[in-house]
Amino acid sequence: MNTYITNTNKRFIERPRSFCSLGGALITVTALPETVPILHTAMGCGGSIYWNQYGSTGYLGAGYCGGLAVPSSNIQEKDIIFGGLERLEEQVKNTIELVEGKLYIILTGCTADIIGDDIQSIVRQYREEGTEIIGTETGGFHGDGYKGYDLVLTVLIREFIEKQKVKKKNKVNLLGVVPGQDAFWRGNLLKIRTLLEKLGLEVNSFFTEYDTLNSIRNAGDAALTIVVSEFYAQDAANAFKKIHQIPYITNPFPIGPTSTEAFLKNVAEILEIPQDIVQQLIETETKHYFRYLERVADAYNDLDWQRYAVVVGDVNYAPAITKFLADDFGWLPELMVVTNNVDEEQKPKISSVIETLTSQYPTAIAYESDPTEIKTHFWKIVPRKSDRLYQDDFSPGFVIGSHLEREFATDIGAGHLTVSYPVGNRIVLNRGYAGYDGSLSLIEDLLSVIAAQR
Amino acid sequence: MNYLKQKVAPRREERLGSCIEFGGTVGEIHKQFCGGCLKNKRRAFSQGTICQLLPATAILTSLQDCVVIVHGAVGCGGAVHSQGASVRVGQFNSGIKNPKGALWLSTNLSESDVVSGGEEKLKHSIVEADKRYRPDAIIVLSTCVPAIIGDDIDGVADNLKDQVSATILPIHCEGFKTKIMATAYDAIFHSFLRNMTDGKDETEFNVYDNEISVTSEKLRRSRLVNLLNVSSMTGPDQKELTRLLNKLGLEVNMLPCDAHPDAFRLAPFAALSIGVCPTHDDYFMTYLEQKFGVPFVGGQMPIGIENTSLWLRQVAKKLGLTDAAERIIKSETDELNQSLKPLLPYLKGKTAMLSAGEIRTLATAVLLQELGMEILAVRPYHYDQFGGVEIEKLEKINPKIRINVATAQPFEAVNLIYRTKPDIYIGHNSDNIWAAKCGVAVLPIYGTNSIYSGYAGAYDIARRLKRHLKNSSFNEHLSKHARQPYKEFWYSENPFKYIQGGDDQ
Repeated sequence: MNTYITNTNKRFIERPRSFCSLGGALITVTALPETVPILHTAMGCGGSIYWNQYGSTGYLGAGYCGGLAVPSSNIQEKDIIFGGLERLEEQVKNTIELVEGKLYIILTGCTADIIGDDIQSIVRQYREEGTEIIGTETGGFHGDGYKGYDLVLTVLIREFIEKQKVKKKNKVNLLGVVPGQDAFWRGNLLKIRTLLEKLGLEVNSFFTEYDTLNSIRNAGDAALTIVVSEFYAQDAANAFKKIHQIPYITNPFPIGPTSTEAFLKNVAEILEIPQDIVQQLIETETKHYFRYLERVADAYNDLDWQRYAVVVGDVNYAPAITKFLADDFGWLPELMVVTNNVDEEQKPKISSVIETLTSQYPTAIAYESDPTEIKTHFWKIVPRKSDRLYQDDFSPGFVIGSHLEREFATDIGAGHLTVSYPVGNRIVLNRGYAGYDGSLSLIEDLLSVIAAQR
Repeated sequence: MNYLKQKVAPRREERLGSCIEFGGTVGEIHKQFCGGCLKNKRRAFSQGTICQLLPATAILTSLQDCVVIVHGAVGCGGAVHSQGASVRVGQFNSGIKNPKGALWLSTNLSESDVVSGGEEKLKHSIVEADKRYRPDAIIVLSTCVPAIIGDDIDGVADNLKDQVSATILPIHCEGFKTKIMATAYDAIFHSFLRNMTDGKDETEFNVYDNEISVTSEKLRRSRLVNLLNVSSMTGPDQKELTRLLNKLGLEVNMLPCDAHPDAFRLAPFAALSIGVCPTHDDYFMTYLEQKFGVPFVGGQMPIGIENTSLWLRQVAKKLGLTDAAERIIKSETDELNQSLKPLLPYLKGKTAMLSAGEIRTLATAVLLQELGMEILAVRPYHYDQFGGVEIEKLEKINPKIRINVATAQPFEAVNLIYRTKPDIYIGHNSDNIWAAKCGVAVLPIYGTNSIYSGYAGAYDIARRLKRHLKNSSFNEHLSKHARQPYKEFWYSENPFKYIQGGDDQ
């Protein structure tokens, strides 16, 4: 029987593991090809998000027109009293004049949303003049960075992606990996996209180097939307369904051979891809995985690299990594901490991942975001160290979480790897943990922490 | 000044006539500011930048034994995820082996809070923070949302005074209230002066058990100085300034950054307050003098050789230590100049552009001149009366040096870089990338756990400039493959095209 712990503190969040919706939206927009964001916010929002992404998203830089280059209306007290639309109109006009972009997306902050500036009136005006421009209300009080991602995708799907009656049987849209909230989004998306392509599919994934604004515009003829998350991008997937009549499936974020095999079979079944094609792919990929794994297996066995583990992450990462550790890697995940605020009715989706572990490992689940409280939960599950000579404690241990778990890991003498937001002690470029190939990277990173101490 | 009776410190626009929009030469800005006609203008195109909240969290999360509550939406305060890196280093330097990092909380204001108000949530947050972390002080930072919906953070703090054991410090740093992010420094000191620096003598609490210890404390205080550090100073910077003051026989009470709240309680008993940057510290030092009679020296940033000597002389003069100071200055500068000699040929005639906070930008420019380099343009984040000290020095060298007052606004920087083609750009965190994409060598103007202040800072800046000028191929390659977002016309356009008159807020 698994233990369930839920955080009851609704007063504050300690060191939040998320951007606000504006932050999530801005990073999503800067991840789109040839797209220029225009903020309708107070002057500090752009800077605050940039500093945040630096320290939380593996030192993610400004990119083409992000960071402190982001066009922003920088509204002041006067605008808040009298309305900020005049300032925004001027800002939009001059952004189009000065900044090279094929699509402009207006994102609002708390200030503009509270005073109720009607940004759509400006969007309409410039669209009539022939500029590709859309906009959405993303003020931080609407929610977290995951929400911001969903808001941007939804408006993109609603206003930008062209409607097409005839669907292409082998074409899919890929959603559910959230730029910024997932520091490894580029690597993850590319790995999943590549796998789907090997199934013979044409993939629109929005944010990889193989996506263009044109391919996004033409995403309306896909036959299916694949959401590699049971929680994120649900509004966007629904928008595809409602506006473009494209059905969707959700699938837990796949890390490692066991989960990825299930994912591929799931997709193949829905799209009626012939059995032999998917079976062939699974065999090839599994062979590839074990070809590498085989040659670290010596050290794994010689040096006893099995570990007890605590996994701390969002609803994509925490179950995916826990499952990989328990079912593929032979580690012992004692505690899984889900850091999102998950509704009660959604929790069975997460616990079912644990209940169906092929290893049947009895991982405890906690819903908690505050770093200091995670320690408290941990000590409820693991007996405290005592002065007794003999004790069966959490050792050798490993904590997989964010950089906020460093102190905790050091405290309990465990190894530590940052995977989930905030990722401030690693650099992330093209690394990803999804699929078969990604789990090899995860193994590299986990075992390198241990090997570095030799 | 008599602002302490008010809950909120005034905006710098009003208090100091600060501005963030100007394009011209140092000669022009000096003349116009002195003539009182440098009116606040506006940008018809602007880029996202830094508000008061960012310097506020940088300073306040570094304080020891404090918890910072950011009262706002969940994104406000997110900058601490990167600012916390230096907080962690600070904790490590102070001897903590397994540092916690910056401790901050968000009240995570939601849609329903916007409708029904956030005061209840804040109240519960303060109570819970007091119980959970048992801090010396709880700092409440107000952001845009509570200011617009009318949350009374001072009222909440006041009502809880007797219920929590921590001192509560409400601080107003809403982003939309001022264009001058440096208003944050006043906002912070304002709250500390109202709520913590109350001049209650430790001896009243019977800390001392005999006459001798009271006398020896008095003796100690006659040599005790408040050193007002800034959040862009690193551990090595603080060490260098402390080293110089120790040489004068002074004991340093450093604040606000990395300090324990006790440093604020001790401040009224020091013999002198020493500023390192008037943009940061004039508000606090002026009040400390008015309220508690602690004299101060300020206006001079100890960056650069001559500037450091000037800074030391000011301190020494106030304390009657001039002879000792002159001896120190001579031995320090002799050794420094000797050590700099082999570096100077690498720097001679190289051209530079600088961008960062007002005083740091200008003082560093003065240092580069001392090192034999040529300044093409300076881009202070804002400009006010305090800038005059360094502007006069630059004007004497060349009144034609370009000046662009802007809080970041890289579109203007990029235009200026294309126009003037500097060999090196010395800029603020997050400015630098835009110069890098132009293919220019870059030296960050603060941070990175390096030293910038004092004599040791002058040497280290020279050494690092040489290093960057020796191989700038990283940025050269980058410039060929990363595009600036501006249309072609911009590079032949007036860089200050979008700075327009009127509408002073």
